[in-house]
Amino acid sequence: MSIVLVGINHKSAPVEVRELLAFSNEACSTGLQTLVDGEVVREGLIVSTCNRVEVLAATGKDQAVEGSERITNFLTQSRSLSRDVFGEYLYTHSDDQAVRHIFRVASSLDSMVVGEPQVLGQVRQAYSIALEAGTAGRVLNRLIHHTFRVAKRVRSETGIAASAVSISYMAVELGKKIFSSLKGQSVLLIGAGEMAELSARHLVGAGVSRVMIANRSQNASQRLAREFGGEAVSFERLADYLPDADIVICSTGANEYVVTETAAREALSRRRNRPAFFIDISVPRNIDPAIGGIPNAFVFDIDDLESVVSSNIREREREAERAELIVDSEVMQFQQTLRVMELGPSIGALRRKLQEIAKAEMAHQRNRLGPLTPEQEKEIESMLVSTVNKISHPLISRMRRSYELSDADSIQSWREMFDLED
Amino acid sequence: MRSLLLAVLAAYVVAAIHAVLAFVNKRKSLQRVSYWSMTLGFVLHTVALIADWVGDGHYPLFYLRETLSFLAWTLVGSYALVLYRYRTQALSGFTLPLVSALTFVAILIRPSGGRLELSEFATTWLFPIHTTLLIFAYAAFFVVFIASVMYLLQERELKLKTFSAIFHRLPALTTLNEIATSALAIGLALLTVGIASGMLLSSSRDGVLWHNDPKEIFAALTWLLYLFLIVYRSTARWRGRGAAWLGVAGFALVICTFLGARLMGGYHVFG
Repeated sequence: MSIVLVGINHKSAPVEVRELLAFSNEACSTGLQTLVDGEVVREGLIVSTCNRVEVLAATGKDQAVEGSERITNFLTQSRSLSRDVFGEYLYTHSDDQAVRHIFRVASSLDSMVVGEPQVLGQVRQAYSIALEAGTAGRVLNRLIHHTFRVAKRVRSETGIAASAVSISYMAVELGKKIFSSLKGQSVLLIGAGEMAELSARHLVGAGVSRVMIANRSQNASQRLAREFGGEAVSFERLADYLPDADIVICSTGANEYVVTETAAREALSRRRNRPAFFIDISVPRNIDPAIGGIPNAFVFDIDDLESVVSSNIREREREAERAELIVDSEVMQFQQTLRVMELGPSIGALRRKLQEIAKAEMAHQRNRLGPLTPEQEKEIESMLVSTVNKISHPLISRMRRSYELSDADSIQSWREMFDLED
Repeated sequence: MRSLLLAVLAAYVVAAIHAVLAFVNKRKSLQRVSYWSMTLGFVLHTVALIADWVGDGHYPLFYLRETLSFLAWTLVGSYALVLYRYRTQALSGFTLPLVSALTFVAILIRPSGGRLELSEFATTWLFPIHTTLLIFAYAAFFVVFIASVMYLLQERELKLKTFSAIFHRLPALTTLNEIATSALAIGLALLTVGIASGMLLSSSRDGVLWHNDPKEIFAALTWLLYLFLIVYRSTARWRGRGAAWLGVAGFALVICTFLGARLMGGYHVFG
């Protein structure tokens, strides 16, 4: 059997092309049924997300080329497109390359943001659609379960997804390095910029208990207060609320410092020096950078956040190199699994082959035996067959043993010894 | 007994190596190996201490080798408590190598004479209490020290905003502060009772509370410093760097008390 993968992704094709090929869940399910013909393409699965459309299939032995051809035709027909539109963006992988590709996709090594967690869920969903459509069989089941295992290994053994790579999430990540837990901490949101709102949402998601919103426009602060279950506070009396805030996120359009050094000093002393974390997402800056000089106050402006983000991205890329090594070794393991899977039919074939030799010999030598009753004839034939079976039985049970133990080396030598093909 | 201690050392070394690797690599599987190896070492160590006690007929905290071995055991115990309470593994990368080194030195030192001194001291019931309390106090101050060092490193990272590899591996500032504060309170309580028991011991034996011995002077200085630190910490809810620096300085005094006095001679020198 062969494994074939045909697809396009965000690296190979622009979004205009990707959206033409994209499949909805229903289209996946009906499409798979037309794609899988049982002859060339025996099993199939479609992963369709905003960044990629990939068709993964298991074909008969040495049918990789026909298989990929059939998949390409299927894409043309089912999407009613001319091949010129997307042909040049398609990539085709077979066998090890296809296995490696699906491993990399599910481990998020092929993603736009390396290490993002969604893609694994998307592969999972694609698999369950294929299961429902009845197009995932022996080979794809093994492959996809192995894929999940690889993705899990990559996630737990490398730091590929350990650090935040978006500015809005940085507030949570840094907050956790100052406060042991964000649960029970309070946030003061000054201004209602989009980025600040997003940061606040992440913080609330991480368990922050109290959200205060100060904005020049009462409407905006009322809206945000409702959204976060927080309270709108007066922008003019900011200094009164500052001491209560463990985390201050500031993004206003103001041209001067909204939080001054004096105000921060005062707030910190009223906090009895408990640490305070200031995040300034506004340009020009709204939080006096001199506050960073006050003990137990930590100030991050947009540039600081961006440089942390880019260092985290570099860290992820370093970790991705380690992840590639894991993928390499897993591809090799899967090769072995496949080889073992191919043995199943060979064992049956061996028994049949030996029995046929016995029968052929009987037919060949029949004349020399003289006249026999049909019962006697039958008797001799079954004697021959049972002799062959008795001789081959220990061999076959040993083969089954190596099959069960997935001992690829001895399986390979069995096949060479008996010249077996499936 | 030596062979048992060698097994303990082996377990601690395996734990230390895996802890350091886990600190560098952030692998959970390494951390698990370290954890189980440490547990095994601790159990064997406990057995070794009890066997020593029964075998030698005196509380195993008198000669230097015994003291070092006991100290190592105490450090593992207090680290396990911190691990249990705060779930922070970063300490192991610092603690376990030191524990291994202490055990190693304890094995190297050959049992020597000094039976005379032993018979004189160790027969009183108060003596083991005195030494045990102080060893536990040292272990608590070691935790204060490690937490303070990590606090200073982490605070520096956050202030400079140039995050190096250690940033992702150290716990949050408030966690470190909490560890230091509670270890300080425990350590000071133990030190106070330990010193008091020493005075009681001395007065019942020699009729005086104080010998002006270097170890006593250092112990008194240590006590004063930690007392100051606890007052300093409790007058504000948060002291941060200052308190952390004091935690480090205090530990220097602890080392002087522990070793310095031995080098300078005096009343408190044993086998």
